[in-house]
Amino acid sequence: MNRRVVIAFGMLLVFGALRMPFERQLEAEHKAAYFHGAKFDLGLREQIGQMAFLAALSGFRSLVADGLYLHAHALWERTEWGRMKLNFDGAVALQPRCILFWDQAAWHMAFNASIAAYEDKNQPREALRIKAQREYWKLGEDYLVRGIANNPDNPTLYDRLGFLYREKFKDHCKSAETYARCAKVPGAPVYAKRFAAYELAQCPGHEREAYEQLRTFYFMGKDEHLPTLLKWLGKLQEKLEIPPEQKIAIPPASNP
Amino acid sequence: MTAAPAATKHKLFSPARVSAIASNTLLELVRLKVFYFMLLFALLIIGSSAFTSKFSFQEQFQVLKDVSLGAMSIFTWLLAVLATAMLLPKDIEDRTLYTILAKPVPRFEYLLGKFLGVLFLLFIAISLMSAVFVVVLYTREQTALAEASRGVPPNLLTDEIRQIRASAFNSNLLPGIVIIYLKAALCAALTLLLSTFASSWIFTIITSVVVYLIGHIQPIAREAYLASATVAPLTKIFLALVSLLIPDLTALSLVDDIVVGNAIPMLLFAKTAALGGIYVCFYFLVGYFVFSGKEL
Amino acid sequence: MMATPAISIQNVTKIYPIPFKREKVTAVSDLSLTVEPGQVYGLLGPNGSGKSTTMKIVLGLVSPTSGKTEIFGRDSTTVESREDVGFLPENPYFYKYLTGEETLHFYGKLCGLSGAKIRERAKELLKLVGLENAANRRLAGYSKGMLQRIGLAQAMIQEPRLLVLDEPTAGVDPAGSREIRDLILDFKKRGITVLLCSHLLEQVQEICDRIGILHRGALIREGKLEDLISIQDQTELILENATPELLSELQAVIANSSARLLDQRKPQKTLERYFLDVTGPQP
Repeated sequence: MNRRVVIAFGMLLVFGALRMPFERQLEAEHKAAYFHGAKFDLGLREQIGQMAFLAALSGFRSLVADGLYLHAHALWERTEWGRMKLNFDGAVALQPRCILFWDQAAWHMAFNASIAAYEDKNQPREALRIKAQREYWKLGEDYLVRGIANNPDNPTLYDRLGFLYREKFKDHCKSAETYARCAKVPGAPVYAKRFAAYELAQCPGHEREAYEQLRTFYFMGKDEHLPTLLKWLGKLQEKLEIPPEQKIAIPPASNP
Repeated sequence: MTAAPAATKHKLFSPARVSAIASNTLLELVRLKVFYFMLLFALLIIGSSAFTSKFSFQEQFQVLKDVSLGAMSIFTWLLAVLATAMLLPKDIEDRTLYTILAKPVPRFEYLLGKFLGVLFLLFIAISLMSAVFVVVLYTREQTALAEASRGVPPNLLTDEIRQIRASAFNSNLLPGIVIIYLKAALCAALTLLLSTFASSWIFTIITSVVVYLIGHIQPIAREAYLASATVAPLTKIFLALVSLLIPDLTALSLVDDIVVGNAIPMLLFAKTAALGGIYVCFYFLVGYFVFSGKEL
Repeated sequence: MMATPAISIQNVTKIYPIPFKREKVTAVSDLSLTVEPGQVYGLLGPNGSGKSTTMKIVLGLVSPTSGKTEIFGRDSTTVESREDVGFLPENPYFYKYLTGEETLHFYGKLCGLSGAKIRERAKELLKLVGLENAANRRLAGYSKGMLQRIGLAQAMIQEPRLLVLDEPTAGVDPAGSREIRDLILDFKKRGITVLLCSHLLEQVQEICDRIGILHRGALIREGKLEDLISIQDQTELILENATPELLSELQAVIANSSARLLDQRKPQKTLERYFLDVTGPQP
């Protein structure tokens, strides 16, 4: 019987050697399909603690990530921005394919923490408050950029990043570029292309390009004759001094 | 009654024999406290969906799915290990093994019947849990849709409804559940193999748990073994043993990504399922090899 | 033409290695014996004598280190040979959650029976072993005697030509024990061969035709029971209604012969007979 156990041990070793190339190939295919993107390193272990690290390693990664995310939510309610960020970092490290985590982390940084920093009564110097505010914007941007790197096939984070550049950084060129990238991702919102054009219209040196895009939309049909589109068409026609015979007639309400 | 009968003919392989042992095993296992696990699981899901009402619907669905599928993973795994670890020791201790093998039952059919009984149990467990999960998910979805129709402006309602539905059900959940089942089946086959030579069922359970944990870092050991030329010989041997002996359980741990909407292409699912199936068959056959030489 | 022996054990040796030690244990040493069809054969021996190992080798549960065993001419290591065998182990537990009837159905299916045949056979056997009224009760509610009887029934489910019984009456009360013994005698009348292991030598004496005694793995005595245990040079006479005068005459005759009167006393009932008479149904 012991002889059989030894032979069985040998069979397991041989099986192990035979399955190894197939498993490596399968792992590569899983990674290409965006599975197993979580990085288990010492940094993560320090962030989330030993027990959570072990639990995450043992096949309960998403549960641990949820726990960190919910804890981050609680910390937001207590405005503990630093600890909130640590929890978000852990959550996105464990679940890099969860759009919600990246989205919420960026939003809390760029829209909540930044406002709290600007309105911080403990900081009398406005310059420092503005600096802190911008740092939070950058943290938000960082989450979205990393989120996009992990989820290049999902349009949501591009949309959020385009919005962030527009609303906070007022960087219309970057916003235009981001919305344009968004529009190329399958499942992108229908407005992505239009928003790219609107932002491009505000990017110095790209007015002509924006105008051509908006004209293309206009001639797609009445459904595209949205007030914002008509407004920007009118503005660009003025700015670019389009000859009257080439101009598109803009109704008075939309004409600036 | 008549006088002593003449010799009877023997069937080489009998599905009826296997089925008799399998259904008897299932009956025996179902009498374990297993169905209390079901209740606990159902309560866990219902409980988890109640406390998250202060979060957005995406967050609620996320947590609901994670908790449910996480609970499904752990319970099917636990069930697989505990149910299988006791199968052979109990029959040997009670001597029912002798009464069965003294009949014209090949050891292969006995072991196959026992193993199939466990697989059926796991199937029933995961089906019940999935049913409860789907019902709760559907109920939460309907609640979210009702709330949306009350609170969201009409021009945004269609989009909101679409987002709610997309957050709730995801067509990749079913392949994800199949993979959870295969992982549990693999653990059952491994536990059966261990029990064929283990001296006690406690040893079987402990070893099975350790293999489960190491199985999730097996790819790291494998890559370290293959990549490094500068590692000390003893470490290299250790890494080799882990890579060759321990199953790669991360290959069957896809549900963490599926639950956040990651799609699994059909071909990739088929390959993953095939790997799981191969593991199950191989561990079973090695277990049979050891069991066929066991002195009873 | 000689009938094929029911059991043929030829030079069987079984040696068990002890893990982590050099020495080994010889459980059975060069054992040869034959059980003819239709016999009730008693395999006796103290604890550790190799009885259980011998039985397991006969049943194919354990492989001999050397030698060969056959059941009705078929190698007992093959699964086919067990078509002809029914086995009742010592102190068996069956599946407690099954009823008596379900237990027989289960074992019947293992023997390739199905449908109406199983139902019919189960009914017959339950009647034979006196468990008709307990057929639908779970085995968890059976007494020791009932468990042994259902064990006998499952051993008989496929109408085997050979029964191997290990301590069939161990732990059973005298009434149950008597019933089991009567069943064994009934099997014998039907031509079923029985290999019986038991420590209850009185019972063995009542039902076995031949016995073999194992000691430290070797067969030290073997043969027909009456030949082995008869005291050759003594004769027993049992008289009914003998008067004291007749007894005196007989004593005188014996005194004048070469024989010697060793003992004269009233025969005794067995304690078992007495027990059954006082505890059984009263007229």
